[in-house]
Amino acid sequence: MHISDGVLPISVTVGGYVASAAIMAWSAHRTNSEELPKLAVVTAAFFVASLVHVPLGPTSVHLLIPGLTGALLGPSAFLSIGLGLLLQSLLIQFGGLTALGANALMMGLPALVCGWFFQKYKGRTQLRQVLVGGLAGASGTALAAIILAILLVTGGEDFFGVAKIALLAHVPVIIIEGVVSAFTIGFLARVKPVLLKPTFTRST
Amino acid sequence: MTIIQRCFMVGVLCLFLASSPSLLLAQTPPGESSQEVITLLKEQNSKLSSDLRRIQREIAALRADLEKPGLKEVFAGIGYIFGLFGVAAFVASRRKE
Repeated sequence: MHISDGVLPISVTVGGYVASAAIMAWSAHRTNSEELPKLAVVTAAFFVASLVHVPLGPTSVHLLIPGLTGALLGPSAFLSIGLGLLLQSLLIQFGGLTALGANALMMGLPALVCGWFFQKYKGRTQLRQVLVGGLAGASGTALAAIILAILLVTGGEDFFGVAKIALLAHVPVIIIEGVVSAFTIGFLARVKPVLLKPTFTRST
Repeated sequence: MTIIQRCFMVGVLCLFLASSPSLLLAQTPPGESSQEVITLLKEQNSKLSSDLRRIQREIAALRADLEKPGLKEVFAGIGYIFGLFGVAAFVASRRKE
């Protein structure tokens, strides 16, 4: 799920860059320097996850993991996703460089929403963390598909048509990501719960 | 290749080109209907075009393969990510001091 060059009108492209730059600045401001190693690892995971292809009939879709990134990083997730997308578009031709702002919004906003959702509702028990984490992981991709549809409407597409196609094509990804996120968060909750500490609620 | 050899090759080619129409004419006696020749040609044409299509498909598949990111790009990306965050951590630690 990446927007290519020349799909969006110029105003939306520029607007996407401005909005994502603003959120990026906020995200960098909220990032604690002690969390940089964790940020690096999750960013690398996000970068590589796009290469895991899920065969689906004649085509294939790939993992996106905005939900998991958000759940693990909280406010810093936007920074991580912005960098990951920049490198993806430069190195492995995913999405165009001019559409980078819109792509960052498309993947970063769901990450922030899912991160907030996870931190708010994760509770204290492990089971609940697993369930909420899976839900956050699954809804991240669904939200990204909806934002994709909203962005493509500005390019003259029909909202419900695009949203339906994008959501349908990503149903397997949504399910797989829910499972992957649930397992990852369950593992981290058991092994290193400090990685799941609330980053949104903590004062900067 | 020497000049003599090249001249010889060109000469043989010219001879072949000059003789081929007469050969064709000799192979098709005037009595035979042109219909058969046309069907033969059509068969050949369809075979050739199917061959061409196959080759074009192969080229398209190759091109798609070439566009796929290799292991090199992936490790380059991971290296960039760790490197950039390393620099960021370095700057942050310097600032703290």
